[in-house]
Amino acid sequence: MTNYYQGIDIGSSYTKITVIDENDCVTYQNIIKTLNRDKQELANIISKIKSDFNIVSICATGYGREHFKDSHINKTEIYCASVGVSALYPELKTIIDIGGEDIKVIKSGGDSKVDDFYMNTKCAAGTGTFIIEIAERAELELSLLSELAAKSEFDKELNSFCTVFAKTEIMKWIFDEVPEHDLARGIYISIVNRIAKIRMDKALPIFLIGGVIQYHPFLKTIVEEKFKQRVVVPENPQMINSFGAALLAKKHALTEMKINAI
Amino acid sequence: MEQEIKKPYKIQSAKIMKEIMGNYFLGMKDTTKKIAWCTSVGPAELLRSFGFEVHFPENHGALLGATRTATDLIPEATKLGYSSEICSYLTADVGSYLKKQTPLTEHYGLEGPPKPDLIVYNTNQCREVQDWFEYFAKEKGCPVFGIEPPRYVDEVSNEAIENVAAQFKSLIPICEKASGQKFDIDKFRETIRLSKEATDLWKKVLWTARVSPSPISFFDATIHMGPIVVLRGTQMAKDYYTTLLKELEDNVVKGIGFLEVEKCRIYWDGMPIWGKLRPMSELFAANNAAVVASTYCNSWVFDAFDPKDPFESSALAYTEIFINRSENAKEKILKKLIKDFNIGGMIFHEAKTCFSNSNSRFGMPLRLKNELGIETLVIEGDLCDLRFYSEGQTTTKIETFIEQLS
Repeated sequence: MTNYYQGIDIGSSYTKITVIDENDCVTYQNIIKTLNRDKQELANIISKIKSDFNIVSICATGYGREHFKDSHINKTEIYCASVGVSALYPELKTIIDIGGEDIKVIKSGGDSKVDDFYMNTKCAAGTGTFIIEIAERAELELSLLSELAAKSEFDKELNSFCTVFAKTEIMKWIFDEVPEHDLARGIYISIVNRIAKIRMDKALPIFLIGGVIQYHPFLKTIVEEKFKQRVVVPENPQMINSFGAALLAKKHALTEMKINAI
Repeated sequence: MEQEIKKPYKIQSAKIMKEIMGNYFLGMKDTTKKIAWCTSVGPAELLRSFGFEVHFPENHGALLGATRTATDLIPEATKLGYSSEICSYLTADVGSYLKKQTPLTEHYGLEGPPKPDLIVYNTNQCREVQDWFEYFAKEKGCPVFGIEPPRYVDEVSNEAIENVAAQFKSLIPICEKASGQKFDIDKFRETIRLSKEATDLWKKVLWTARVSPSPISFFDATIHMGPIVVLRGTQMAKDYYTTLLKELEDNVVKGIGFLEVEKCRIYWDGMPIWGKLRPMSELFAANNAAVVASTYCNSWVFDAFDPKDPFESSALAYTEIFINRSENAKEKILKKLIKDFNIGGMIFHEAKTCFSNSNSRFGMPLRLKNELGIETLVIEGDLCDLRFYSEGQTTTKIETFIEQLS
């Protein structure tokens, strides 16, 4: 029977699941809202995975990792990001993970080692939640934000460290009748400028991962403009941490549980 | 995830300490005794030589933090105009006074901190103590005396020692009036001698953690430091640390540590997060990471005390404390401790309301990382105000940091 390994990334907004086979190939992926009050949905997904695959090891990651009772190991999402991206791009790099409630800047070795990492301070400014809050105040459709921003050459940002104050700031733009596409680009510039305030090695290529880049692909352009570096967005950037977790589940099975690869 | 259940390591002397600390607080009920309030790194020995029982408001602040009552009390002080971003010991203590709530009631049957006959502060650690103690002097209608040494010194000069010793001497007539006792140099020498002996023992206690596996963690030390803070200059403190040291040295001989295996050794800089001591301790232990040394617990090691020169030596001891030193001097002290304790990683707690005891704000973590090759991490939080602390984010940072070190 083929062995499979599962990674589950329980983030502040979404829970991502990846199953890999012995050859590290992704055989299953799924994503659901983390704060779904219907707990049965996740239980059904896990149960289906168990019946469909011979899962020998599970690694949980993300802020909710400690709450997932079926895992064999728990690892931080920072380490899982480094492992996941390094499996696809084994080089020295900077990983920028923009999630629902934080930004993580990770200096990652080609061997998956986390050489250094920094996180934003506690405020949500510059994260997924920031985009949702500001776009709502500006009455912009979230799904159209990237498309709108691509039409703009606006170069202003929201300065506030506080998401609530930034919402007040964008009201000034609206009163000044700044066009929608400029508002959209301004929101993205604010996020990238927030990232630029976090320490990172400017000589390294940048890999953008997380839910925000998945749904706001135009951010890549702003990151390229700001950092003047090679910027890569891996396929399914929101799923990378769960992929890294699955790889760590496999490593755990082979080294600690002494399960032989077929 | 299933976790292996291990037999918990316990320091047996803790029972004795609990009794000593209980007696210390119950002693404050005695209304016939004169009471002085003093900053935790202030001239407690001089006050004790006049027979004062000494209350330390910072100790009360830490208690409010540890019992997680501070976060409810701080807004009371804020309503009075004290910013929630100044020392949360101050705001919690003032809030406790205004709201007439203190854990001293439940634990020791006290209505609150004892009424002072004299209040003495030393700005060697921060300016907030001045405002804090002046506030209570007005509220309680009692005399207040401030010692204001030179701040942020590189090395302590002879002029600085003379300056501070002179300030100590000018406190004498105030103490004589408040206590009704004449100054007795021999009593002062005796309290300095007892303090010196206790602090030497405390240093040895902390230094047992140089061994791996260490018999005492930073988190244990924040508890066991009680007597060296509040009972300096007494036989009780000396006796307690004699007992504690023996237990720890025995454990060293037996090879028993608070962790069976230390995957990495960590230094904690800055204040404890009092309301999160236990979960923090458990977080590190679950990852086999040994937090073995700290700036905070070392703050009550006073090498300079000398009964032969009680004024000058205590002036030096209280002026050369880490928190009162230049960035350059702090860096030298930290480098030596990192080497002495075989440290692989250093955590800087940036306490939102404690500027003076947050040492990450002038580039120190990066300098130490680059020069010594150790890993450094800055976490944000606070000594008392848990509104400034994010458990999820901090846990992720610490676990990643331990993964980096392992």
